[in-house]
Amino acid sequence: MTRRQFIPLVGIAATASYASIRFQKPPKLSDGPSANSAVAIIRARSYSEDLVSRMLEGVRQTGLDVRGKRVLLKPNLVEFESSTVINTDATIVAAAVELFHRLGASDVRIGEGPGHRRDTLDLADDARYRSTIPKFESIFTDLNRDDVSPIRGFADEKEFYFPNTVLGADLIVSLAKMKTHHWAGATLSMKNLFGLVPGSIYGWPKNKLHYIGIPRSVAELSRHFRNTYAIVDGVVGMEGNGPIQGTPKPAGVLVMGHDLVAVDSTCCRIMGIDPEKVEYLRLAADLGHVHAGRIEQRGESIASVQTNFALIEEFSGLRLA
Amino acid sequence: MGDLYLESRLDFLRKTQNPDGGWGYFPGRKSWLEPTTYAMLALHATPGAEAPLDRAWKLVRSWQTAEGSFRPSGQVQGGTWITAHVVTLASVRGVYDGDVRRSVDWMLSVVGAEHNLLMRAASALHLLKTKLDVSHEGWPWREGNAAWIEPTAHTLVALKKVSGKYPGAELEHRIRDGEMLVLSRRCSDGGWNCGNPNVLNFDLPSYPETTGLALLGLQGRSAQELDGALDVAQRFREETKSSLAKAWLGIALRCHGRNPSAPSGESKVPGDIMLAALEALGHADGNYKLLRTGGRA
Repeated sequence: MTRRQFIPLVGIAATASYASIRFQKPPKLSDGPSANSAVAIIRARSYSEDLVSRMLEGVRQTGLDVRGKRVLLKPNLVEFESSTVINTDATIVAAAVELFHRLGASDVRIGEGPGHRRDTLDLADDARYRSTIPKFESIFTDLNRDDVSPIRGFADEKEFYFPNTVLGADLIVSLAKMKTHHWAGATLSMKNLFGLVPGSIYGWPKNKLHYIGIPRSVAELSRHFRNTYAIVDGVVGMEGNGPIQGTPKPAGVLVMGHDLVAVDSTCCRIMGIDPEKVEYLRLAADLGHVHAGRIEQRGESIASVQTNFALIEEFSGLRLA
Repeated sequence: MGDLYLESRLDFLRKTQNPDGGWGYFPGRKSWLEPTTYAMLALHATPGAEAPLDRAWKLVRSWQTAEGSFRPSGQVQGGTWITAHVVTLASVRGVYDGDVRRSVDWMLSVVGAEHNLLMRAASALHLLKTKLDVSHEGWPWREGNAAWIEPTAHTLVALKKVSGKYPGAELEHRIRDGEMLVLSRRCSDGGWNCGNPNVLNFDLPSYPETTGLALLGLQGRSAQELDGALDVAQRFREETKSSLAKAWLGIALRCHGRNPSAPSGESKVPGDIMLAALEALGHADGNYKLLRTGGRA
């Protein structure tokens, strides 16, 4: 066979392989950990409400002891566009800082490593973080440019580097935004952990995670960082072509809990998305609960706050029946 | 304000050099190659800089890997895109030894991972979610990943700067093909983002800082090929609040022979070493000329 004949054959075989990767049957859903998980759905119709009190209610309902702990708040700070709601609202981040101080944390820091933009402080300025959060610059770490240390066992990589601020935290609080996502279906507390990966090593975007696979990377981050708690900003979320170009979607809720898989599964149900069809939730189903029957819903019921988020055609199959 | 603006930044860089000779992203932090190379370029040939920069150069060279690439810091194993900065710096310092040649060879061996048969076939069959032209090679942040604008632009600058010393058909091909990759990834609004102008048939917006970087890599291309991109960059520079974007756009516009207005408003020196170095480089009297690659088109 000549080289000229061989190359098209390889191309066809490779393309078939690629297509089979895209359309292969997902693995069986794990039953998850033995104990059930508590997830609190707290009503918050606007950012001008007393958000600290709302969050305290969520903490009471899910249980959380942070006394003497170093807490890292990880908001979703991605890009800024004044016509939509890409980022975790500044009032949510400010309320969380106050919340964890009130709860007795020894240190409360904010850290983020945006995936596209390198001028993190400018982004924080646009998103009103600097003007809304007291002493913002003194408690903020740009995780893209922090000093780093290697860890082993992340996604079968020999070594993978994470910021020292992340590795030194006793508790990482994923302050995510409730949004649809054009690669993953939905971006919530688990996908938000992408911002823990340092751009100084993995670039902008953090393309290494794409090559590991977005669903697998999301699951691996949750597998590696178990010292987590989630507060999802669904006061106003994003629907349609998220996570950047979608449109605002008021859902009027905060969703909180220790089990990020259960929190994200609950968020999906609120958004009208079937969590059992979201690949990264299936991959992480051994870490936490996807099945509704294993999640103890506290606060509001899902039915009372459920509001379908518009989905792009690519993800129309995720719609909850 | 001009001299004070520049001198205050250079003075900040002089005072924040680490004992090991490098610079961290922020004062008092561990040395990284990226802020170190920008600080070295900003301070190059300034009064009293020779000995500090010799120390810095010694540290930088100690981070070369066996394969010729450079590690991004002493804490990190494995070489990355940052190798381009060291080659540019070597050219500025007039160093063209065997170690630099190994770095150039490493850069020539690295291509964006999307430039493979599988992806090209998938692209031809419209199986990809993006509209990338995967026929171009470009350069990734890390070997084994896809090509993006910033690492491609920096590598283009490095290869163009050493092309006279290491002439060859492969080097010329990679420069031309890298430029084509950058041109192919222009956003519909006229600028560039990280390198993905369209996802699922939705156009994505460009960013000012990556527009500056793309233009830095495209030095030497004709006005027709740039098709108004310099005007877009000029507008971005006037409109953006981002100090980082202003700095990159200033450097790129000056390298293209334009003379953007001097920085206005608050002239406070940033506490960010990389930003301070880029602001110094992009000043009218700064060392932006070291990133000029001449008319090669």
